[in-house]
Amino acid sequence: MFLQQFANALVLGSVYALFALGFTLIFGVLEVITLAHGAVFMIGAFAGLAVVTKFNAGLIPAILVGMMASGILGWLIDLLAIRPLRKRKFHHLAPMIATIGCATFVISISQGVFGAEIYRFPFDFMPATSYNFWAMQLTLLQIIIVGVALALMLIIIFLLNRTKWGKAVRAVAETPRTAALLGIPVERVFQLTSFSASALGGAAGVLTGINFNAIHTFMGGPIMHRGIAVIILGGMGDIRGAVVGGLILGFAEIMSVAYLSSDFRDAISFGLLFIILLVRPAGIFGSNIERKG
Amino acid sequence: MKIFIRITVFVAFVLSLAFTAQAAEIKIGVTEALTGPVAKYGVPIKNGFVLAADEINAAGGIKGNKIVLVIEDEQAKKEEAINVFKKFIFQDKVLAIFGPTLSNSAFASDPIANKEKIVVFGTSNTAEGITDIGPYVFRNSVAEADILPIVTKVATKKLGLKKVAIIYGNDDSMTKSTYEIFLRSIKAEKLEVVDTETFAKGDIDFSAQLTKIKSLNPDAVFCGALVEEASNIILQARKLGIPNKIRFIGGNGFNSAKLIEIGGAAAEGSISGSPWFLDDPSKINQTFVKAYTKKYGMAPDQFAAQAYDALYIMAEGIKAISLSGNVEKDRTTLRDALAKVKNFKGVGGLFSFNESRDAEQKGRVLYIKNGKFAIYAE
Amino acid sequence: MTEFLMSFWQTYNTLFYTVLVHGMLALSIYITLACGQLSLGNAAFMGIGAYTAALFTLKLNAPFGLSLLAGGMLPAFVALIIGVPTLRLSGVYLAMATLGFGEVVRVVFLNMSITGGSVGLNGVPPKTELWHLLLVMGVLIYFFLKLKNSRFGRALEAIREDEVAAAVMGIKTTSFKVWAFVIGAFIAGVAGGLNAHFTFFLSPREYGFDFAVDILTFAILGGTGTFWGPLVGSTILTILPEMLRFLGSYRLALNGLILVLVVVYLPNGIITVKKKD
Repeated sequence: MFLQQFANALVLGSVYALFALGFTLIFGVLEVITLAHGAVFMIGAFAGLAVVTKFNAGLIPAILVGMMASGILGWLIDLLAIRPLRKRKFHHLAPMIATIGCATFVISISQGVFGAEIYRFPFDFMPATSYNFWAMQLTLLQIIIVGVALALMLIIIFLLNRTKWGKAVRAVAETPRTAALLGIPVERVFQLTSFSASALGGAAGVLTGINFNAIHTFMGGPIMHRGIAVIILGGMGDIRGAVVGGLILGFAEIMSVAYLSSDFRDAISFGLLFIILLVRPAGIFGSNIERKG
Repeated sequence: MKIFIRITVFVAFVLSLAFTAQAAEIKIGVTEALTGPVAKYGVPIKNGFVLAADEINAAGGIKGNKIVLVIEDEQAKKEEAINVFKKFIFQDKVLAIFGPTLSNSAFASDPIANKEKIVVFGTSNTAEGITDIGPYVFRNSVAEADILPIVTKVATKKLGLKKVAIIYGNDDSMTKSTYEIFLRSIKAEKLEVVDTETFAKGDIDFSAQLTKIKSLNPDAVFCGALVEEASNIILQARKLGIPNKIRFIGGNGFNSAKLIEIGGAAAEGSISGSPWFLDDPSKINQTFVKAYTKKYGMAPDQFAAQAYDALYIMAEGIKAISLSGNVEKDRTTLRDALAKVKNFKGVGGLFSFNESRDAEQKGRVLYIKNGKFAIYAE
Repeated sequence: MTEFLMSFWQTYNTLFYTVLVHGMLALSIYITLACGQLSLGNAAFMGIGAYTAALFTLKLNAPFGLSLLAGGMLPAFVALIIGVPTLRLSGVYLAMATLGFGEVVRVVFLNMSITGGSVGLNGVPPKTELWHLLLVMGVLIYFFLKLKNSRFGRALEAIREDEVAAAVMGIKTTSFKVWAFVIGAFIAGVAGGLNAHFTFFLSPREYGFDFAVDILTFAILGGTGTFWGPLVGSTILTILPEMLRFLGSYRLALNGLILVLVVVYLPNGIITVKKKD
């Protein structure tokens, strides 16, 4: 049983990690906790679902369309609600409040369009057969989710460290003013980050939607609540932190159900995060002085 | 800015007053959660009311008087439910109120209706103690306390159950009450409970709970969950290798076409109990299902069916009184007439109010057979 | 005219009560924001206060004043205990810790039998009268007016501007921060107690993450430069959804849009103060 619970935790942790990747990237560069990320995630799932049901698309096109839709939404939110605030001196929480407004707006409109019900991807969309590894049962999709989460983490770290654009993003994340002086197109970096981080959220939405069969307009709520915990735990803005934090939360939740009590799952896992924070006040990978892309 | 907002508030209030000043129709307030996460239950309920009202009006109304539904969203928030109730009572001057969606909101808003002596009729408030609020509180919500012991008994006998597991949502009053009733009836049948697991509203992953359940090898799993969680629980159980012969047995939440739509083959054989079910071949039900599906593009669920019946039950009450035009007086006479409704024939079968204004209705044990709801035992 | 006013008041008195309660909650977070601390624990403190006050009334038949006092004292006490370790954290980390605390509180409410678990606590007698709310609000406004020019208030401001500098100047930053946190918890608890006694019913769900963020939104939207800001913010955000009812199911969309527009055009809040630099 332990091995199966281990696999369960790995899958759930990877889902949290997938969600947290984009979430933390936006914070790292824009220094905004975007509470619209849950809505962005939801739109990705619906867009993926739409191409699958309307055009019979496969997994890859579904993910790409989901990423595109979420990316555009994220870019629009940045353009309309966050960008105007970048130019002025403002309360540091103002952009976060603006994203709450965006989330409310997007969710409300989506409910008008899609209704309040739950949807799922077609039954034959992904094979439902489980594979056995030792005493673990995993479906193909669950393996894909774990793989994608790890791969994306590595790809983003590679892009940030090894490419010209990545270096520009890191420079902007460090200090936008200095980056501007160095001739980096800061505004474009912000917009690119908003787009790609939201696209990551869209990919998470599509994969979560396929795996958990519960696509509805409010699907972003509970996962965002956990996403906040994950990125803070991992260290705000840190890519490795998002994945490690996601896995820790996944393991905390699964193992507290498996070996303690499901009644107290949320108290145990959030209590644990609370304690980790007391020991490492800036999260696992975070430090107050330098922030890593 | 402050002054601008004050003026806007004032103008909006005046406008809302102007719009509500109409007369000569039978005004009934409907307040349900039409936005927010609970809307997936609130919207079908509203649809059920609207369909029934349209039918009654198309057939000439109640003694020639048209029913006008005043519909307001309450977002499943208690303060909003209170605000809407007060608007219905003092501004819209409705004759009676339907709603709110959740028992939680009903506990907050129903005392107001009771104090102002206006009938409040809940169609989805299942918590214990709702009608204890006072003599003006009615409901036709499925009495799980009556049907689930029968479901448990039938399942135990037919499947030869000995040891069972339970999984339920412990942060929701509806699923928690399903659990408590199941637990009582499981004890009455002398079954052994090998494991009790809980989850929270909005959860999507149940693998930890189900892995634990699987390792303890129960004969069946009792499940207190609403449909979105229930269908996912069943799907994930099958993926983890809990075979179809281990049945899932549920309450109110199982009785939705969504369970089949989302759960598919995994949900086959799942057992529940209710007075109403989608595939009930009776003529009255088939007419309702057809009309509903045509109007809203999806099949009705239990919540819609109960709302639909509720409006007809209300119409029975209104038919029995003569409207004086004095709304305060009519509200009290309606209460007495409504309490007398007996043997009303609706889509959920014969319905009467008992002396505590709760539903008295025969339930049926259902299961999913070939992707349809069917009678498991009468 | 009097008839119009009567029916207007009958209809909207609960809304007005809610405006006052939300105002108190906005003030409860304002005092921690005033020393630069971002706490998301105020919804949980409100919950502890609401349950405590309601249980005092229901189980002990305590006079209303005593119930309210207990509803303020218990969250204040809890804040004192968790305040010392958590206030070492700052910014979003403190927010996270208080968020985790809120989650623990919610689960405890769910699993206790005296609180009624997920079914909630029902039948709380309606004892809150308008004058109670006005009196509490009056006291709070008086407190915050006096705070501005007091030693305590100036210390909080110094900590907000620069905590290190404040410490160097000899201000006991930790103890001031804990006091602000405790006072905020007390105010939130009393607000919870008042709310419980006009809504008949409590359940753990009401005091979760969403409401914690709502309370923060009240304060930021209104502006955190002076305590009038949170009051204006909470009033607007409480009345707005009722005003927009005529939009039907899209009222929340406009609500969100208005929130964005206000923040974009008034990023420092609706009420701003000129800084004397």
